[in-house]
Amino acid sequence: MVEFSQPVIDVIISASALLGAGFAMIAGIGPGIGQGYAAGKAVESVARQPEARGNIITTMLLGQAVAESTGIYSLVIAIVLIFTFA
Amino acid sequence: MNPGPQVVTHLFGKEFLPVTDTLIVSWVVVVLIAIAAKIIGSNLELVPGKVQNATELLLTSIEGQIEPMLPGEGRRFLPFIGTIFIFVGVSNLSGVLPGVPNPTADINTTLGLALLVFILMHVEGMRENGIWGYIKGFAEPVFILLPLNIVSELAKPISHSFRLFGNIVGGGIIITLIYQAAPWLIPIPLQAWFDIFIGVIQALIFGMVAIAYIAVSKEG
Repeated sequence: MVEFSQPVIDVIISASALLGAGFAMIAGIGPGIGQGYAAGKAVESVARQPEARGNIITTMLLGQAVAESTGIYSLVIAIVLIFTFA
Repeated sequence: MNPGPQVVTHLFGKEFLPVTDTLIVSWVVVVLIAIAAKIIGSNLELVPGKVQNATELLLTSIEGQIEPMLPGEGRRFLPFIGTIFIFVGVSNLSGVLPGVPNPTADINTTLGLALLVFILMHVEGMRENGIWGYIKGFAEPVFILLPLNIVSELAKPISHSFRLFGNIVGGGIIITLIYQAAPWLIPIPLQAWFDIFIGVIQALIFGMVAIAYIAVSKEG
């Protein structure tokens, strides 16, 4: 069993927190795909029915906002890791 | 760099009732909105001028967003949703002024608003379906799903508040980093994007998600 001194432990905790923040932001992939899919479908719908543009854009924004939640969770976790542990 | 609300002063003595910059800016926003509403509302005319026209356009468009989801009750929910929308919108836009923090970049503000919506949606659900009928709605379609339904219900205010908080804080951190790297000219379009566009869109989404939660809750 190796005993670490306190500064070394602090450095290890900081490094792990920063690494964890980086890993947490991998979750940004999901909302990107989801929002892009919603926007693509909205473009198709507007091309098919240009008169329903306002409704389609409102619905698209609402859906994208809900799809964005997971990305925002990961962002909040990354911010907490960086600013409270590192 | 230390983001988040900073304690500016204490209201009584040295340690009691800390006052953060978020609190000051949000009170300034509230007072400004109240003064503007008082001035615009005091001289209404039958043939509206420019300011009255713009205000009427804003309010009717908010009502037009509520009406499809809560049929026949747009006028009833307009004060609540309109207040939330205008407060969140002005709070998001306040970041354009240099040195003024966004009140919505503080989890306390957004969580407070989300809890207001949370209480209102359950009260509306109980008023629509009766208290027992509303509680029974959590145990549908089968009784085993009761804990899952309760957890999903408790997750609503969290996701509702964290969405606004995360967007505004993320934008603020990116702008701070850009200001440190390139302080001249380059931050201007980014500031316009993050504070004006994202701010208005997030205020719109905050209000619309509130309407959607109330509508879902009323269905039982």
